[in-house]
Amino acid sequence: MDKTNISKQEETDDEDVSGNKLVKGIESIFVEITLLTRFTLQFFRNLFTPPYELNELLKQCYIVGYKSLPLVGVTGFIMGLVLTIQSRPTLETFGAESWLPAMVAVSIIREIGPVITALICAGKVGSGIGAELASMRVTEQIDAMEVSGINPFKYIVVTRIVATTFMLPVLVIFSDVIGLTGSFLAVNIQGDVSFSLFFSQIFAKLDFMDVIPPLIKTFFFGFAIGLIGCFKGYNSDKGTEGVGASANSAVVISSLLIFIIDMMAVQITSLFS
Amino acid sequence: MQKKIEHKMRLGIFVSIGLTLFIIGIYFIGDKQQLFNNTFQISGVFRDVSGLQVGNNVRFSGINIGVIESIEIVSDSAVKVNFNIDDKVRKYIKKDAKITIGSDGLMGNKVAIIIPGAKSKLEIENNDIIAAAVPVSMDEILFNLKVTSSNAAYITDDLASIMNNIRNGKGTIGKLFMDTLFAQSIDQTLLNIKQGTGGFKKNMDAASHNILLRGFFKKKKDDKSNDDKKKK
Repeated sequence: MDKTNISKQEETDDEDVSGNKLVKGIESIFVEITLLTRFTLQFFRNLFTPPYELNELLKQCYIVGYKSLPLVGVTGFIMGLVLTIQSRPTLETFGAESWLPAMVAVSIIREIGPVITALICAGKVGSGIGAELASMRVTEQIDAMEVSGINPFKYIVVTRIVATTFMLPVLVIFSDVIGLTGSFLAVNIQGDVSFSLFFSQIFAKLDFMDVIPPLIKTFFFGFAIGLIGCFKGYNSDKGTEGVGASANSAVVISSLLIFIIDMMAVQITSLFS
Repeated sequence: MQKKIEHKMRLGIFVSIGLTLFIIGIYFIGDKQQLFNNTFQISGVFRDVSGLQVGNNVRFSGINIGVIESIEIVSDSAVKVNFNIDDKVRKYIKKDAKITIGSDGLMGNKVAIIIPGAKSKLEIENNDIIAAAVPVSMDEILFNLKVTSSNAAYITDDLASIMNNIRNGKGTIGKLFMDTLFAQSIDQTLLNIKQGTGGFKKNMDAASHNILLRGFFKKKKDDKSNDDKKKK
């Protein structure tokens, strides 16, 4: 009889523990959202107030933009090549092979180019920012900056977020152009289409609504990557273990945010078109 | 310091190339929509625009020369379409040209097609209203196709019944093809005709040597030789 009571008591305790974990989990999500909102507001407050760290901003632009170009370029090229090769048999079935350049161009420019480039940047740049800022926090470099009179938020966070926001659209333009070049090569593997015909077929079907909204959303992608990377790194704790955790969660959350922003952008664009 | 300048230069080149590529893309798209060319406006009134949209191309002799600027409903049976046309082609479009709505391939977008006029020598002017030719819609084609196919079905039904009759030996053609007795009878008839004509020939030969009819045959022979000489 006593044993039965004990086991029942244990079951009740387990349920309490799992219930508490769930509540704590939900609580931590809301706390995180609040902290992120405060962090974002702090960013905008620091963005428009002098002094402006232009040299650091240019350095970050160089790291985020120029240094990411080879990776983005290779990915874009393969993306265009593969998409064209994969799409060709389906279009051949309908006898619509001449639509291949336009179809690939619209797919790359509207959706695949911006999203893939943003995901690659989330992996490369986001994790880099997260890990860098976390290690600065762990080694107390950020605290040292505060002590020496430098505003660490302005110097570290604002410059990085602005750099990712403005460099991602440029990277996406490169990725789109390189992707279309890959597509041109893929079209010429099995056929013979001149460069001018290929690009005139592309521009015949492209509209401003195919180019401008995707470019605008890349600014938001860049902002999300920079913001999450900085937020995770800047608020890192738990010592060296926190560095890895910050880098990891920066990539995961910014990738998720990219898809959410993309979904919202598509909805807004379809409202106007 | 030198490295910093080099980095800034690289960054500048990187951003400049990116922006140039973007501007080139925008230029080509704008050029397609006649944003950077001198244009003039004409309009046409249609009963049904068949899904034509703002931004669709306008074609003349198979070349894209403009875009649809706007589409507005003016009454319950009329839709006014405004076209933005490249000024360079104005001299080729005459006052009596007509405009119709076509399709860019089977699955393609709708396009407005300007059909050249035949009589007028006057060039079209800005804000002119061009006559609209009634477009052949896909629904109309499908309706005609339906009528044609139902007619074809009637014809093939009749053909099948005729073929069935022939196979069963019914009717004249059926007997001709399928009835063996009929064929034998025809054979016999032909044989009789052959024998009859043979006998007739012998009788005529005998008649030509007859003393009463010899003169008639000789006269006929002389007339024939005279005719031949005249012809020569």
